[in-house]
Amino acid sequence: MRAGLTRRTFVRAGLAAMLAPPWLHSLNAGARAAAMRGIGPDGEIVLGVSAAFSGPSRGLGTELYRGAKSYFNHVNENGGVNGRKIALKLYDDGYQPDPCVENTVKLMLEDQVFLLFGYVGTPTVTRVLPMLKKFQAQRVYLFFPFTGAQPQREPPYGDFAFNLRASYRQETAGLVNNFVRIGRQRIAMFYQADAYGRSGWAGVRAALARHGVEIAGEATYRRGSRFTGSMRAQVEILKKASPEAVICVGAYAACAAFARDAVDLGLRVPIANLSFVGSENLLNLLSEGQDDPNGYTRYLVNSQVVPSYEDTSIPAVKEYRELMARYDPQVPEELVKEAYTPFPNSFVSLEGYLDAKLLVEILRRLKGRPDRSGLEEAVFSVRDYDLGIGEAVSFGPERRQGLQKVYYTVVEDGRFVTLDDWKAKFG
Amino acid sequence: MKIRKLFQKTQFGIFGLFGLIVLSTSALTIYTVQTHLSTEYEGNSRNIAKTIADASVDILLNRNLATLQSLIDQFVEIQGIRYVYITSDSGEFLAHTFVPGIPEAILNSDPNETKAVNRQLPGMGEFVEVGSPILAGFAGTVHVGMDLDVIGLKIQRAIGQQVYLISILLVVGVLGSIWFVNLAARPLGDLLAFAVKLAKEEDTDGTDAEQILARDDEAGELARLLLHISQRRTPSDDPPPAADGTG
Repeated sequence: MRAGLTRRTFVRAGLAAMLAPPWLHSLNAGARAAAMRGIGPDGEIVLGVSAAFSGPSRGLGTELYRGAKSYFNHVNENGGVNGRKIALKLYDDGYQPDPCVENTVKLMLEDQVFLLFGYVGTPTVTRVLPMLKKFQAQRVYLFFPFTGAQPQREPPYGDFAFNLRASYRQETAGLVNNFVRIGRQRIAMFYQADAYGRSGWAGVRAALARHGVEIAGEATYRRGSRFTGSMRAQVEILKKASPEAVICVGAYAACAAFARDAVDLGLRVPIANLSFVGSENLLNLLSEGQDDPNGYTRYLVNSQVVPSYEDTSIPAVKEYRELMARYDPQVPEELVKEAYTPFPNSFVSLEGYLDAKLLVEILRRLKGRPDRSGLEEAVFSVRDYDLGIGEAVSFGPERRQGLQKVYYTVVEDGRFVTLDDWKAKFG
Repeated sequence: MKIRKLFQKTQFGIFGLFGLIVLSTSALTIYTVQTHLSTEYEGNSRNIAKTIADASVDILLNRNLATLQSLIDQFVEIQGIRYVYITSDSGEFLAHTFVPGIPEAILNSDPNETKAVNRQLPGMGEFVEVGSPILAGFAGTVHVGMDLDVIGLKIQRAIGQQVYLISILLVVGVLGSIWFVNLAARPLGDLLAFAVKLAKEEDTDGTDAEQILARDDEAGELARLLLHISQRRTPSDDPPPAADGTG
């Protein structure tokens, strides 16, 4: 009886398939195509990137890309992820929100990438997040943006992004706590007049409030300011507040200009920068062509969200340096509008490398055919994963940020080294 | 022969009347445009402030200041809006668009003020600032500053266009009136020339005389009357014929 029914069902199914109208077949093909979104013609997994490859912050996009690409090259050379290679679809947004939104639309709707990866900046990412919510049915997630801002870590947009790095809130809290600990309570702020600057400002404000202190003074600058521009007006504003330390929330060109003008105008207090600043570019601008290479850099203290790339005792750092030396990836020529000389190694490219390494691990956990609908589950399956930097990475529905640790560095002998003793340096 | 003196005063009067119309219309236009546009810009600023205030409630309550900043940054891209800032219910500046810093005049102003205020900010210019309370003021206040220079420029442009149009109408009107007056004066000139010929007992046969006599208006009537009078006057005015002496 059962066998008869099975045969009948089989025959019915066969007849139905033969008699089905052609549009039904094409509908099924469309559904299959939808499931295969983000897969290139050769079966590669296509990741969409919009980042700053031009403008005063092009160093950030370039370095982040170089670090990530070195690892992707390594993976591709060794057979890819579950047999599939990883390809990047790149667009330049110049660290400007509107081009970033346009690029994202292209990546999601025209290029139909598998996921978004390696975005740079808070003002750009905060404008893209509503897009992800709008197209949430397509389940396009943003992975490991190069920003520590809160919007992609909290409702209502936190569900559409996964972060690896520590937040600006953690970075600013660490800086404030260390300054307060060594008796520097009058903390002023120099920040970019946009969402990134406000994110850092909010972090400093909250951290100071825990010590019962308010921001001593504040000055802002416009996004896109260059090192050749003057920050004297900002320095004069902050000088009136008589700060004992200044926390900068900006990009390297403007922050370097501020540090230069601060020293020139006699504001000689510790000047802290967040990880986003691009430490090597900052150092380069402040020491290049100077009679006293330490003149402008001795007051710097930069927070970092990855360990020192000089510390080869760390397994991931060792591998990163090897891959960077082997592949030395460059931004495709069609995206290069202004000359930029990349660094052999940098904190930003190390972060890009770690982002890529964790993403590859997540893609590996997608069993069978890569499908966006399985991404979130794959991310949440990452528990106490050893990325090779001595800090276990975990994700979960309530934990959308992999790393928590913040490192502090100062300039010694023309390079950034880990700051161990705050009191000895700035006490 | 042209009649000019007769219509000189008329033409002067027409020109004066048009000038008066243009001046009064321009003055009214300037007043209306300035008042309406100023009110409209202030209204727009208030609407923008209200839009930001309405959109800010959740963001502020969630303490998501980066998103709040991102929101107000987008409004500064609108032409005429030079600054936006948000103060908390306690008067703290939570987000703003000032570079290189918040001006002293604003730092020292009432953070909960929602009425339109004219501000002169050193190094920035003149502004009209309006405010809108967030959550009835319990969550703070949004302040939007419109650049008076930009508003002034737009008002000047609008007024300029209106006055330009009125001036063109003035010139066209005056030229038209002169043309019409001259058109009306031409038969009178012809009539005068005809009357002079009659008075001089010159030959009135000819195209000009025929044309004036053929007119069916007042000028034609007068020409025919003058001809009639001259023809009737001729026999009686002649001296009586002399006696031939044969009788």
